[in-house]
Amino acid sequence: MPRRQRHWAGRPPYLERPHFQFSSATLNGARPVNPERLPIDLRTGAPMRSRSQPGYYPGYCTLSQQKFWDAATRETIRKRVEETPPIRFFTPGEARLMEILCEHMMPQNDRDAAHKIPVLPFIDERLFHKKTPGYRFEDMPPDWDAYRLGLQAIEQMSRANHGRGFLELSWREQDELLKLIHDGKPMPGAEEIWKRMPPHRYWGLVIQDCVEMYYSHPFAWDEIGFGGPAYPRAYIRLEGGEPEPWEVDEKRYEWKAPPSCVSDPVEPEIATHKFHPPHGQGGTH
Amino acid sequence: MNVDLQQPIGGEFEAPHDHEHHLGPMQRLDSPMRRFRDDDEIDYLVVGVGSAGGVLLQRLARGGFKVVGLEAGPFWDTERDWVSDEKGSHKLYWEDMRITGGTDPLTFGANNSGKGVGGGSVHWAAFTPRFHPSDFEVYTRDGLGADWPISYWDLKPYYELLELEMPVAGPAQFPWGDPHGYAYGAHPMGGVGDTLIDGCTRLGIRVSAGGPVAILSGSRNDRPHCIYRGFCIQGCKVGAKASTLITHVPDAIRNGAEVRSLSMASRIELGKNNRVSGVHYFNREGRARFQKAKAVIVSGYAIETPRLLLNSACAEYPNGLANSSDTVGRYLMAQAGTVVLGRFDQLIRMYKAPPAHALTEEFYETDPKRDFARGFAIQTVGPLPIAFAKQMMAARGAWGWGMRRVMMDYNHWSAWGVLGEILPWPENRVTLSVERDEFGIRIPHISFNLHDNDKKLIDWAQKKTEEIMRAAGATEVLHEARYAHLVGAARMGSDPATSVCDKFGRTHDIANLFICDGSVLPTQGSANPGLTIQALAARTADYLISQGATIFNSDKRDMTPPPIRRHLSPPGTHWKGVPRLA
Ligand SMILES: Cc1cc2nc3c(=O)[nH]c(=O)nc-3n(C[C@H](O)[C@H](O)[C@H](O)COP(=O)(O)OP(=O)(O)OC[C@H]3O[C@@H](n4cnc5c(N)ncnc54)[C@H](O)[C@@H]3O)c2cc1C
Ligand code: SF4
Repeated sequence: MPRRQRHWAGRPPYLERPHFQFSSATLNGARPVNPERLPIDLRTGAPMRSRSQPGYYPGYCTLSQQKFWDAATRETIRKRVEETPPIRFFTPGEARLMEILCEHMMPQNDRDAAHKIPVLPFIDERLFHKKTPGYRFEDMPPDWDAYRLGLQAIEQMSRANHGRGFLELSWREQDELLKLIHDGKPMPGAEEIWKRMPPHRYWGLVIQDCVEMYYSHPFAWDEIGFGGPAYPRAYIRLEGGEPEPWEVDEKRYEWKAPPSCVSDPVEPEIATHKFHPPHGQGGTH
Repeated sequence: MNVDLQQPIGGEFEAPHDHEHHLGPMQRLDSPMRRFRDDDEIDYLVVGVGSAGGVLLQRLARGGFKVVGLEAGPFWDTERDWVSDEKGSHKLYWEDMRITGGTDPLTFGANNSGKGVGGGSVHWAAFTPRFHPSDFEVYTRDGLGADWPISYWDLKPYYELLELEMPVAGPAQFPWGDPHGYAYGAHPMGGVGDTLIDGCTRLGIRVSAGGPVAILSGSRNDRPHCIYRGFCIQGCKVGAKASTLITHVPDAIRNGAEVRSLSMASRIELGKNNRVSGVHYFNREGRARFQKAKAVIVSGYAIETPRLLLNSACAEYPNGLANSSDTVGRYLMAQAGTVVLGRFDQLIRMYKAPPAHALTEEFYETDPKRDFARGFAIQTVGPLPIAFAKQMMAARGAWGWGMRRVMMDYNHWSAWGVLGEILPWPENRVTLSVERDEFGIRIPHISFNLHDNDKKLIDWAQKKTEEIMRAAGATEVLHEARYAHLVGAARMGSDPATSVCDKFGRTHDIANLFICDGSVLPTQGSANPGLTIQALAARTADYLISQGATIFNSDKRDMTPPPIRRHLSPPGTHWKGVPRLA
């Protein structure tokens, strides 16, 4: 007889035992988050408290639909949610730096400790297994070297311009240093490294990995109102943005990014800097 | 009766516990597979069982030949191996290392070919427009690019065959190119298609709704219809979207073909008398083997095909097998695939419906009023969250809180893809890098550069598409430059000095070595290449079947077109459907 696929009834086990090994909650102890680093509620002007589910779809839960998913998909998602891979590629020192880097790339302070999405462990897993996306730009070193070089560059630029290591900088100083890499004009101090690795390519590598890890997690699907796996059950309301019976309607709230961050400009700078050709994702045609 | 909507109808979905090989929820691999030995001299050895290779294998097996398909990737069991998940689907793509350069480097992996039985047809979006008659004579009409050694009318009967074999669903009247209709009804619209239709209609641009796509709009035989789950690019577990894995390979096996999966070809052997004698490959245990064959057909995709030929260089062909013309690897083409994204006040929910469901070819042909030759199509695309986040990284420079914010609006965005014709240029090419893969085979290096005509076309297409997006009501419009669909790199032509193979795919240099896949395309039009690739495969198969004995025993080249063998279609496909237009 086949073993029945296990799935979670009631409170899912990942809530009983949060297992995220490198979330900032563990790094900083369970200290409350500095309000400077929380997004602002625009109705009240006050920092928004961390919550289990940010986003405009309160109460929406893709995981609650698991029994409608096929077994192979259910197992893939279960593993992703329950089994955070250990850190094996990065050294402990690098991992501390990477953890902060990932927090800047995909900040999660609006998520409570039990609902943080592990990003770094999955990047580490990819690099540890030497998984590639199937290509490398001729002006780039292999991904695993690029990650190490990037961390060195960040540390060198921090010391050259602030006289302190990156981890000792304020959150805003860190954000600003990274923003300059994003702009393709990194601070002085790591010219040798940027000669071997164009900053915009390094940036593309890291941000693509970060979004892949974050937006592959069911918590992120709930946040953005994505339907998640849908086989064998179908979608039936294709038009007009209507929700399926098990989806929920949008409930927007206005917010702005935390004061310590520069990653959410009021006017997005629309691709003035050249990210070409940005990525190898075949999400289209 | 009370239906509990909280419970799946028919109970929870369990992992398959039978010993059968699943090709969708209903179809099974229903016959044992014939196995040849390495030293059996088989008739035709096909390298790569993808879009072209799958069709070829099926035809040759039905034609009664001893045929083996070597496939580098696995033989998928769709229920066990595939998932309804973006991140979990990397294994479908060819993610072996490729090095990319030139002034406008292409990206590979998920953006290009497949690995595993079915190849790229496993993860394609399944848009299946035909090429236009003008595509076959670009040089004559525009003085740029190249002419094909065949015309649209040579290929038309094969388009008609493949449109039924896949089959293709679409409107009753498709007005562009050679106007025609589709046998299977058009699909319902999703949110993205609605925006395209709105925008086009407001500007008086004709638009095709609900196809042409190789996705079932009604169930047929053991394949259910589409359930609009939007994961086409992750492989269709439903079996509604055509892939040669489910449309042609089962019939090939039923008729005696062997599909040897997890077998990576490394070198084609040149034997005596300027004829190839077989292929060296690494089997599933990683051991080096050699399969003898009377003739070899390379169907490995526009990168792997030239790579294999270049890696098969030998004393007689020091620059690569069948490369006396120095065109192997050259004239590689990608289509301009700029994605235009629009944010709407209302919700779109673009993850629903297949990404491919509406398009316009109104700007396809050369227009003397524009300052460039050739044109483009505009098609719906439906990026899932990870793909969309990467587009926002590129189009908007989003990161950090800006990324979180724009992603919270995912359901407000609609995305369309430009599909623009980039012309063939000799310096856009595949060469070998000094680096080697896990088997010790040299990996490919690809160099890609846009030329003046290409740049003007891309720019114009982007602006026009943005204009339509605004007309549809988008309040914010962004774009991301990218490319799609690699073809060329071993092109066919009448002149052996400037092409690799003739109009049937036979290499000019070696009489029993053929090429049959997207590599042979001299130009690429603004239509997705998959249908054309499969139609060409059916045509090449007819030639191989007609000429079998001649090919095996002589170097004679008979250039008479073969008869069209309609009875070789997989059973239950020919004359099926509901034709609405003669
Ligand atoms: C995201 C995405 C969406 C797409 N959407 C569309 C679309 O909507 N419409 C359309 O028409 N096209 C689409 N395409 C393109 C289409 O998939 C390809 O053009 C088509 O599959 C190419 O066919 P082919 O036969 O040349 O190669 P493939 O189908 O890629 O087949 C090549 C096969 O050969 C195997 N192989 C390669 N080298 C070796 C070797 N050395 N030894 C053994 N086996 C080998 C590979 O594993 C593979 O299975 C899309 C592509 C992508 C990436
Ligand atoms: S949208 Fe239709 S064709 Fe695409 S994966 Fe889903 S069921 Fe298959």
